[in-house]
Amino acid sequence: MTPTVLVVGELQGGHLASGSLEAIGVARSWSGATVVGVVTGGGSRAAAEEFGRFGVAEAYALDDPRLDSAPAAARVAALKHAAEVSGASVLLAAGTTFGRELVGRMAVAWEAAAATGVTELTMEPGGVRVRRPVFGGRATETLRLEGPRATIALRPHAFALPAEAPVPCSVREIGPAELPPAERTAQRTGVTVAPAGSGPGLTDASIVVSGGRGVRAPENFRLVEELAAALGAAVGASRAVTDAGWRPTSFQVGQTGRAVSPQLYIAVGISGAIQHIVGMISSRVIVAINSDASAPIFRVADYGIVGDLFQIVPALTAEVRRARGL
Amino acid sequence: MEIVVCVKPVPDAETRLRPAPEGTTLDPEAVKFVLSGYDESAVEQALLLKESVPGSKVHVVAFGPAPRTEEVLRAAVALGCDQATWVDAGAERWADPIRAARALAPVLGGLPHDLILCGKQAGDDEGGLVAAALGELLSLPDFGAVVDLRWDPGSSRFRFQRAVETGQESWTAPAPCVVGLQQAWNDPRTAKLPAILKSRKATIARVAAAPRSASSPTVVPERFELPPPRTGAKMIDYRTPEEAAQKLVRILREEAKVFP
Repeated sequence: MTPTVLVVGELQGGHLASGSLEAIGVARSWSGATVVGVVTGGGSRAAAEEFGRFGVAEAYALDDPRLDSAPAAARVAALKHAAEVSGASVLLAAGTTFGRELVGRMAVAWEAAAATGVTELTMEPGGVRVRRPVFGGRATETLRLEGPRATIALRPHAFALPAEAPVPCSVREIGPAELPPAERTAQRTGVTVAPAGSGPGLTDASIVVSGGRGVRAPENFRLVEELAAALGAAVGASRAVTDAGWRPTSFQVGQTGRAVSPQLYIAVGISGAIQHIVGMISSRVIVAINSDASAPIFRVADYGIVGDLFQIVPALTAEVRRARGL
Repeated sequence: MEIVVCVKPVPDAETRLRPAPEGTTLDPEAVKFVLSGYDESAVEQALLLKESVPGSKVHVVAFGPAPRTEEVLRAAVALGCDQATWVDAGAERWADPIRAARALAPVLGGLPHDLILCGKQAGDDEGGLVAAALGELLSLPDFGAVVDLRWDPGSSRFRFQRAVETGQESWTAPAPCVVGLQQAWNDPRTAKLPAILKSRKATIARVAAAPRSASSPTVVPERFELPPPRTGAKMIDYRTPEEAAQKLVRILREEAKVFP
């Protein structure tokens, strides 16, 4: 019997988010697997058809805008319905806040073994074997998810986007969501989208440029921001910078801030305290720019430039702009 | 307000990690177990609410083996939690987040609760599943990545912010609900020495964890590995900043293949 994989589509601006596309790619890479999509929330009917662009011929949609301001719990019944009707044995979601919440609830509602932050997975008889970084990337664990069902959130950016392979997608609509009256349930009352120009969200970015104490003064931080803008990267900071109040704590990468795992991490004027390292060590490629050749950051970096950041960074920004035709 | 906060003993960030002899999990020998930064933020949130809503109580609950679980419960009591319950894992040395939630849920369900708090994720396995699984098990809504939770007596609802991938969300929710806290937004307090000394004599209620159900899906740890040590950066030689920039861009594009 070939397994059926249910991919949870998460919507961003009315379209399937990149993490959902990565999940489609993983599901399609399993030979013999049937891939089915499910989307919930306002605009789901149209977004479900996007599954077809990536070779998925069947999708479920619960097109109900009330879900957008309701807790994730309100979507679980629809997911369970799609999983049962499609005969799925594996559910895959993006490792976002939204995806992890659904995976945790489905582990209980659908009685499935669960894992998040997964960077490798193989389908095996009797279960799924997954690999995932733990301890902020300082170690990895391999787990066997046993039993007839598994629910998994993938680590963002750990997998490639799938190639387009258009097929007609037949979309089945799921009946209306059952929601308690608004006064008895939680409500999302506002959304602040990260302002354009400040780059993508730090934990979601595929490139991060961070500045540290070596930047010396808050007004010099624009050097870091200009490099990030040229690369289309998010801006991060070390604890020294946020403690000094040069940037808000939301910028902090490290043990007590955000853990990031982009494709490319550029550390500017950051010495490399363990506090910082654990927050970025699982980045795929690390570049360090620092005036001190003995700084510990060079032990974890893949590429290093020893030099004055006030000369190197503007030159790098100019070169990046030139190379990207900006 | 009755506030329950769930915590987990995790290795101190400075601990040198190494696999246990059989290679399937972390070696817990010679590891100092502490509250993770996420759980510290959850405890701090509980105490801030207690201070703002008269008549509130904070009950801290943890699932795990001796002696580490009792130790972190005492640490939470030293910070200001009023009561503590240890859900004893007995001989169970390793548990995945869903197992932990299944062990905690019946105990939490039996305690008065207007709010159940935990860290957004554990500081060790970083699963981030316990709040959602508790919500499903107890039929309550759950919210992860929350910062700055406040009680609004006028509307009798909680108000809070969530840091999601695309930005920030504002929410209101009636009690009871389950909330996973983001770390490092509320500058958690540290315990004072007299409180630490007093917490050593605090009563920790102990309940044995309900055994795993034989039919429920299981997660089996197979391997715990440390990455090969990084060998150090390949240093870029240059004469001018412009040359350094050109070389780096070329490397990122052609060798590392990460140039946008």
